[in-house]
Amino acid sequence: MEDKNCISELRSPLRVECVDPYRALSIADLDPNGCSQPLRNQRVSSSVSLIPAMFLTRSEYDRAVNTFSPEGRLFQVEYAIEAIKLGSTAVGIQTSEGVVIAVEKRLNSPLLVPTSVEKIMEIDLHIGCAMSGLTADARTLIDHARVETQQHRFVYDEPMTPEACTQALCDLALRFGEDGEDHNTMSRPFGVALLIAGVDKDGPKLFHTDPSGTYVRWKAKAIGAGSEGAQTALQESYSSSMTLEEAETLALRTLKQVMEEKLDGTNVELAAVTKQSGLFRIYSAEELKQCISRL
Amino acid sequence: MSILQPNASVRGLPNADPRVASSGFKLGEHHDPYDPLDVAHPAAPLSRHFHPYEDNGGTVLSVSGGDYTIVASDTRLGSGYSVPTRYVSRVIKLTDKAVLASSGMHTDIAILHKVLRIRLTQYRHRHRKEMSLEAISQLLSTILYYRRFQPYYTFNVLGGIDENGQGWSYGYDAIGSHEKVRAVCSGSGQYLLQPVLDNQVEFRQMAADPTRKELQLEPCVELVKDAFTSTCERDIYTGDLVEICRITAKGVEMEKFELRAD
Repeated sequence: MEDKNCISELRSPLRVECVDPYRALSIADLDPNGCSQPLRNQRVSSSVSLIPAMFLTRSEYDRAVNTFSPEGRLFQVEYAIEAIKLGSTAVGIQTSEGVVIAVEKRLNSPLLVPTSVEKIMEIDLHIGCAMSGLTADARTLIDHARVETQQHRFVYDEPMTPEACTQALCDLALRFGEDGEDHNTMSRPFGVALLIAGVDKDGPKLFHTDPSGTYVRWKAKAIGAGSEGAQTALQESYSSSMTLEEAETLALRTLKQVMEEKLDGTNVELAAVTKQSGLFRIYSAEELKQCISRL
Repeated sequence: MSILQPNASVRGLPNADPRVASSGFKLGEHHDPYDPLDVAHPAAPLSRHFHPYEDNGGTVLSVSGGDYTIVASDTRLGSGYSVPTRYVSRVIKLTDKAVLASSGMHTDIAILHKVLRIRLTQYRHRHRKEMSLEAISQLLSTILYYRRFQPYYTFNVLGGIDENGQGWSYGYDAIGSHEKVRAVCSGSGQYLLQPVLDNQVEFRQMAADPTRKELQLEPCVELVKDAFTSTCERDIYTGDLVEICRITAKGVEMEKFELRAD
C-alpha cells in the first residue's frame, strides 16, 4: 500500500515514502529539509516575468489567512513555518527497535527552573511528541490528540495508530480561520511543528507535522533553529540497522552539535517509544545522565 | 369521542356548574377508558400510547472453534401469527474475518447493519486498515449504547476470527452489554437453542472425559443444522431457511439449509 503512491522525487534519503498523492504537492515539499531559503527570492525568481509588478508587493496578500496570492501561496502559512525556524531544535530518530526523540531546552536565565520547560509530551500510552516553535500552540494540538486517542480507545477498544493520530492533528492544524462552534479552532495557523513518535502493529513510526497541516513520515528528522545542521548530521550518521541505544546517542550528539549552550543533563529532554514495551516514556534525569555520559 | 359526562371540564368549554348539572347517566352516555379524548378525569392529561417496536422474531447463533467460527440465522420474518416474508437475510459480512447476525425488529436490524457498514468504511479510510474482530465488538457495543434510551430493538451475535487466527463469538443485549464466548445464540429460539450449544459445544453438564476434543468445523456445521431443525419445530418465529456462514482463515463462505416452512 505504501509504495503505490511513492513520488519519484524524494529529495532526502531520510524521508519515508509519501503515502498520499496530495501530500506530494504540499507546501512542506517545497522544503523537505527544513532549510531556510528565503521565500522572497524564490517567489520573485519563479514568476517575475509573468506577473504584473503590483502583485509582487507582498503586503496585499499576507494579511488574510485564507487568501491565496496570485502565485498560489498562503503567506500566513508560510510565515508560520518560518516561526518554527526560530524555535529550539528537536530531533527524532526511528529505528527497528523504537523511536527516540530529543529536544533542546533554552534556559536563558539561571533562575529558571529547568524541569518546568516541557517540550516533550505524551499523547497516549504508545504515542508521544516533541515540539518546536510556539510551544503554547502545541498544547492545543496535543490536547486535541489526547482526546482523539482516548476517544478511539473508547469506541474501538484498541490503541489508535500513530498515523491516524497525526492525521487527526493535521485536521485541526488546517482548521484555522474558520468560525466553527469548535473552540479549538484558531484564527491563525498554528506556529508549531511536531515530531510524533509512536508504535503500531507494523512497528515504530516517526511523523513530522507543520503548520500547513501536512504530515510526512521520516526515518530521522530535525526541526527548529538548528534543523539545517542537525538534518545534515542525521543524514550522515543514520543507518536503518541502528539500535535504540545508538539512536539515543545520535540524537544527543546531533543536538550537541547545533546547540549554542553546552549540553548537560538539564537543557535537553529525551524520550523514546519502544516496540518491545509498546510504551512511550520520557527519560528520567538519571537515565538522561547515563545517555549523556556515552557521548 | 363519547359524550361528555356530567361536571366534565374541558379546556375551552365553560365548566358545568355542579348545582345545575344533572346527576346520573342518561342512556347512551358511557365512559370509554381507552379513548384518550374521553375526558373521564378532568385533571388527568390527555395521552396516547406510542408503540415504536415490533418483534419480528428470528434466531441467530455464533459458535467458535479453534480456528473457525460459524454464524447462522434463519430467514423467516414473523409478525404476530403471520409470516409476511420467508426470506430476509439477518446476517451481514462485515469483513473477511467478522460476520454479524441480528434478530429482533427487522427495520432496526436493517438500519443497524447500514450504520455499521458505514462505520467500517470510515474506519478503513481513516486508519488504512481493516477493523479487527475485537474493534468491531467494541464498536457495536458503543453504537448500541448510544441509543440507551431508545434502543435499536436488535439482539446481536457477532462471530469471527481475531488477529491471532482464533475463533471467537460475542453475544449482545439490546443496549450493548456484551460477552466474549465460544457459543452464543439470541432471538426467539434462544431458550431452545442455547442449552444444546452449552452441552454440545462447551460440554456443560457432561461427565469429565479427558479424550474429548473440541468440535471441528464440519461436525459443528451439522450440529448447527440439527439445532435449527429442532428449534423450528417448537418456535413459530423460526423456520423456512437457515443461512450458515463459515468464517475461517480463507474467508467467509455461506451455505443455505432448508427448514420446515409451515
